[in-house]
Formats: sequence, C-alpha cells, structure tokens
Amino acid sequence: MATLEAQLAELKAQLAQLQPQAQKSMAATVDAPAAATSMESPTPVSAAPALSWFGYGELNYTRPAAEPSQARADVGRFVLGAGYRFDERTRLVSEIEIEHAISSSSDPGEVEIEQAYIAHDLNAGMRAQIGLFLIPSGLINENHEPTRFYGVFRNFVETAIIPSTWREGGVGLQGNSAVGLRWDVGVTTGFDLSKWDAGSTEGIESPLGSIHQELALAKAKDLSGYLALQYTGINGLKLGGSIFAGGAGQGEPGFTGSRVSLWETHARWQPGAWDLAALYARGHISGTAALNEALAGRPTLIPEDFFGWYVEAAWRARMGKPWPLVPFLRYERFNTASSYTMLNAGAAPQPLADRIALTGGLQWQFAPGVIFKADYVDFTHGREGDRFDLGLGYEF
Amino acid sequence: MSRRPQGLAFVGAGMAVLAPGGSVVAAEYLSLEAAQRAVFPEGTRFEPVALSLTTAQRQAVDALAGPQPPRGRLGAWRVEGASGSVGFFFADEVLGRQDFIDYALGINSDGSLRTPEIMAYRESHGGEVRNLAWRSQFAQRRDGTRLRASIDIKNIAGATLSCEHLTGGIRYLRALWQIALNTVPQAAP
Repeated sequence: MATLEAQLAELKAQLAQLQPQAQKSMAATVDAPAAATSMESPTPVSAAPALSWFGYGELNYTRPAAEPSQARADVGRFVLGAGYRFDERTRLVSEIEIEHAISSSSDPGEVEIEQAYIAHDLNAGMRAQIGLFLIPSGLINENHEPTRFYGVFRNFVETAIIPSTWREGGVGLQGNSAVGLRWDVGVTTGFDLSKWDAGSTEGIESPLGSIHQELALAKAKDLSGYLALQYTGINGLKLGGSIFAGGAGQGEPGFTGSRVSLWETHARWQPGAWDLAALYARGHISGTAALNEALAGRPTLIPEDFFGWYVEAAWRARMGKPWPLVPFLRYERFNTASSYTMLNAGAAPQPLADRIALTGGLQWQFAPGVIFKADYVDFTHGREGDRFDLGLGYEF
Repeated sequence: MSRRPQGLAFVGAGMAVLAPGGSVVAAEYLSLEAAQRAVFPEGTRFEPVALSLTTAQRQAVDALAGPQPPRGRLGAWRVEGASGSVGFFFADEVLGRQDFIDYALGINSDGSLRTPEIMAYRESHGGEVRNLAWRSQFAQRRDGTRLRASIDIKNIAGATLSCEHLTGGIRYLRALWQIALNTVPQAAP
C-alpha cells in the first residue's frame, strides 16, 4: 500500500511539472474562422507570408469651369507596393508609381519609386528605417491614398506648400508610446535650389515641389534633418507638428549658403459623425537675394516665404452600413510667394496675392477600399482654377 | 536675410530627449504568457480550449461578427481564478495592411470585454493602436453588436485600417464567445 501511495505521489509530481509546459504548447484549436489554425507557439512569429502586395490608384475626370475644352480624364496614379519580411523585426516597404497612365518621351506620364526602405524594430515601441521614405509632414503625406483624404485631388496646401507625396533618402527613428505620443526624427537628403527654373511656372505652383530630388541621383553634399511629434492620446483627436530644415545649395556655384525650412502644425478631431481638420504650413528659403539678382526679369523668381492653411469639415452619414456617404467642405488660403528678399538695387519683387479656394464635395465608399468622389473647387478671385471633378479611388 | 536653422542639431537634441527609457514603450514583443498576465492578472490557470463549431454555429458567429479582415491563428483559453472561472482569454491575429497584428483579448464570464493588448505590430504606419486610450474603449463593453469601427469605437486618423481590422477581430471573438463558449444565459446588455 505504501508503495502504491509513493508511486501515486510521484505521478502527481510529474503531472504538476508537465502541466505548465502543456499549457504553453497546447493552445486551442478554434476552427470557426475558415483561415484559423491552432496557435502552437507562444512566440509572436507572424503567420502571414513573408512577401505581401498592396497598392492604390486614382482615376479622375476634371472639367475647368472657364475652359471646358481643357477637360481631362486620367489614370492619375497607379501604385503597386511590395513588402517583404526578412525576419520578425526587419522588413522592406516599397512602392512603384505610374502617373498619367503612359510614360514615354511623347507622353505626360512618369514612373517613380515612391518608397523603398528597410524598417527594423528596435523594440515594441521604436523602429529605425533607412532608404527612401515619406517625410512625416502634415496630414496627407503619409496617408495619401485616395480613401484617406477628402476631394478628388489632394488639397492645395498639402500640394503647393507641402510637396506631397514628399519623400527623401536617409535614416530615421520612430517611436510610439502607450500614452499616445509618436515621434519621428531623422537625417535625409534635401532640396536642390539649383534646379529652380525661373522660366517656368513650376516654382509658383509649388516652390518645394520644383526643387525636390526624390532620391533620383540626388545631390547630397548638404543634408537635412526633420523632427515630428504627434499626439493621439485622446480618442478621436490628433494633434501634431513637424519641422524639416537643411542646406539646399548642394555645393553648386552661386548657391552657397542657401537653405530651406518647412514647418507645419495640424489637428484632426472626429467627434461622432463629424471629421474636422485644420493645418498651417510655412516654408522659407534663405540666401536668395543674389540668385534673384541674376534672375531679374525672368518670370519666376525664388520666394523667401510661402505659406498655406486650411480648415475642413466632413460629416459621415451612417446609412446602416460601414461604407458611409460623406459630404465635405474645405476652405484654403495659400500663397506660394508671400515675400521675396530685398534685392541689391533696394527693391523687392512684388509678392503674390493670397489665393483662396473653397472646395465642396461628396464621397461614397461603396465597398471597403473603394471610393467614388465628386467635388467642385471655387477660387474667390475670378473663375481661373474653378473646376468640377469626378474620381474613383481604391486601396488594397 | 539669412536664417540658418540648425537641422542636425535639433535632430540630435530630439534623440536625446526621446530616447527609450523615457516615455517610449521599451518592452519587447508581448509573449503569450505576458499577455495572459496583462489581461487576466488574477488568473491562476489558463486551460486551452479545443472547440469545433457546427455549421449553424459558424453561420451564427459570422452573422454576429459582420465583415471580417483576413485572419491568422486563433487560440482560446479558459481562465481560472482563486474562486473559480473568471472568463476566456483569446490570442488572435488580424491583417493590418500588409501583415498580421497579434493581439490578446479577455472576455469575462458575464460577457464583458477587457482591454485588449497588442502582442506584435509589424506595419509601417498605424502603430498608434497601441495607445492605451484607444484600447480602453473596448473595456466593459458587453453588447457585441456595438463594436463598430468609427461609430462605437473611435478611429485614430492615420491608423484607420489597423483600427477597423482590430475592431472587427474583437467583434468576431465576442461573437464566438456568445455562440460557442458562453454557458450562462445572458441578460439583455
């Protein structure tokens, strides 16, 4: 009897030792979802394939109010992305974009690498990235897919002042805290002021958009730095701001000392069915006096300051489905050349007048990731720029 | 006029102020055991649950859960405390945009939810779903039909897909509990 009791005690002890191991390795097999399998390992190794594909696109129709003959239909963007997970902490993010359907010497299209970087998680809240990546500036630049902004086209401020989709090559760090603070900091390539074309209007349409390099044999003598902070610790509220600054002379004769800076601050608040947003952005180019002296008489001189801001309100109708109908209204004021430096002759070029645009529209996300849009843009000074737009966007 | 912003200088200063060990979450990926402790700190025993659904149960879960994102592995554990059963623990995976988000959820015996924990987040954008304020929106909710992204659960602008898919996944787990794991008749929420 004593032997049996001893054996029983030994078995109990062995069972007690085995139980925690079994608890770790024997997870449930809940086969309710078709794709679910048993979770056999407690380590967070992704079950997803290492290679993933994603993308987005925009097809649009635009009809200028003053010049109906200039109406155009276009595959504005066709973007394919590929991600590859090298290990649980290291991955590639890449996107290739075709603008305006066909890219050739006789067509208006472009083929661009929009992102190509390696991200490595340093820990659960911080990661490093190196390569060609988006600059964390404003509300749209990192969230530029058509399902994520209001209007057929991106707003004027985040096109003319912040040159979305704005990317640079370099290294960066990003952190996310449990209290809702995200920070980004990095060193990247910057702008090349020697690209300024005083004979075209490109610099007036977007000063920084005309001198960005997009890591296409980018001149890299002068580097830039960025810092961005964003707070989302209160549900429905997003507050943020960023600054980007660096040299823009790139060692070119006559451009020594030229620098570019751009800062912005933004807010987005989504109380109930409302989606409210506001953004202010301001850019500065220094060391332009001597350059503009040399360009005197040309159509487009280099501005010293440029700025823009907008307020936007949208209301998401529920309609009993998760794909709401959303009317929106946006008021924008921007100026791509609000001041010029004084020239040696003692006079400064006349700054441009502020432009004010009111955009109203409707969008309908009729399936997850697919959106139809219609809007009308009205500039307060005359009919130039007024237009009617239709758009179809998707993201997967 | 010549201003010279000290770009590289503020980068260095920012790194010094915001280095890990400050406000940044410095934890590694959350292991299964750590997630169990975080969701059910009073749990003394986590017993794996093997469960197969009938066709009728599967249809009922699908109807309750609504549209779902692509899913990965799913595990369930019955949780015992010092005074008996306290609920169920789930470890689940839903697609963010490119890769799975691993998360853990606790459902109390009365059907109310506990704050979910993010076990692993692998996307390039949208990591804000780790915010405690966002995750806390799920705590104490009992009505599985009131788990609608952007309506009942507020969205984080810039992390929309992650918010929507995690909310969908949690809604699925609540439906699974209601149809297959709940043994006590529930009062109206």
